[in-house]
Amino acid sequence: MTELTFRRIHRATPELLFDCMTTPAHLAHFWGPEGTTTPVENITVDLRPGGAFETTMVNQGDGGTYTMRAVYVEVERPDRLVWRDVESAMLTTVTFVDLHDGRTEVVTHQVQVPAPMASPQAQSGFLTSLDRFDAYVIEGARP
Amino acid sequence: MAVLEDDLTLVFTALADPTRRAILERLSHGDATVQQLAAPFAMSQQAVSKHLLVLERAQLISRSRIGQSRPCSLDEERLAAAVGWIETNRRVWADRHDRLAAHLETL
Repeated sequence: MTELTFRRIHRATPELLFDCMTTPAHLAHFWGPEGTTTPVENITVDLRPGGAFETTMVNQGDGGTYTMRAVYVEVERPDRLVWRDVESAMLTTVTFVDLHDGRTEVVTHQVQVPAPMASPQAQSGFLTSLDRFDAYVIEGARP
Repeated sequence: MAVLEDDLTLVFTALADPTRRAILERLSHGDATVQQLAAPFAMSQQAVSKHLLVLERAQLISRSRIGQSRPCSLDEERLAAAVGWIETNRRVWADRHDRLAAHLETL
């Protein structure tokens, strides 16, 4: 249940999407969460296993900053990218699946190490809020 | 978000075990003692107590200091906070992909 998955299909090749995810000049256009920006000079990408992936996001309202520090675990262009968050030990795996029609499905899978959730059999009749953990498999808009 | 990510690790670890989830389910119906919690499981009170310690450390339950029985109660706020964190994280990725799609249009 700690396995959080986010899926989204884009009209682009796996190669282009992989490059967007791993190039500061691209990342600066889309990385920062809503209400923040991540300027290109605030992004470090050392694209190799063991290399740093760091972004400092700037809040557009008060100018406050938040730095995410991660280390790449796997770098396999254009199929797969894995990084581990230094603080939280959250492992993020981004998989680029070629749909062979000009589109690529980007699957972002996050798991909190070291606690892969057990099978959901024991959950029947469980708390409503706990059920929502399972509901965290989001189908993105499909263009 | 009031809950730090380290705390969430404890919460997720605590929730990873089916016995601990069953204990939480039992507590969602009302407070219970270790004896009452151990009854439905084929395990000793000591084994249940170990699970309770994990849940207590994650602050998903609290235990009364009054008397010998020390009944346990569920902390629903904590659970709600963990769910809230997940919602926030989902939003971050949705927004990120919205902007990525817009960026791809310009290439």
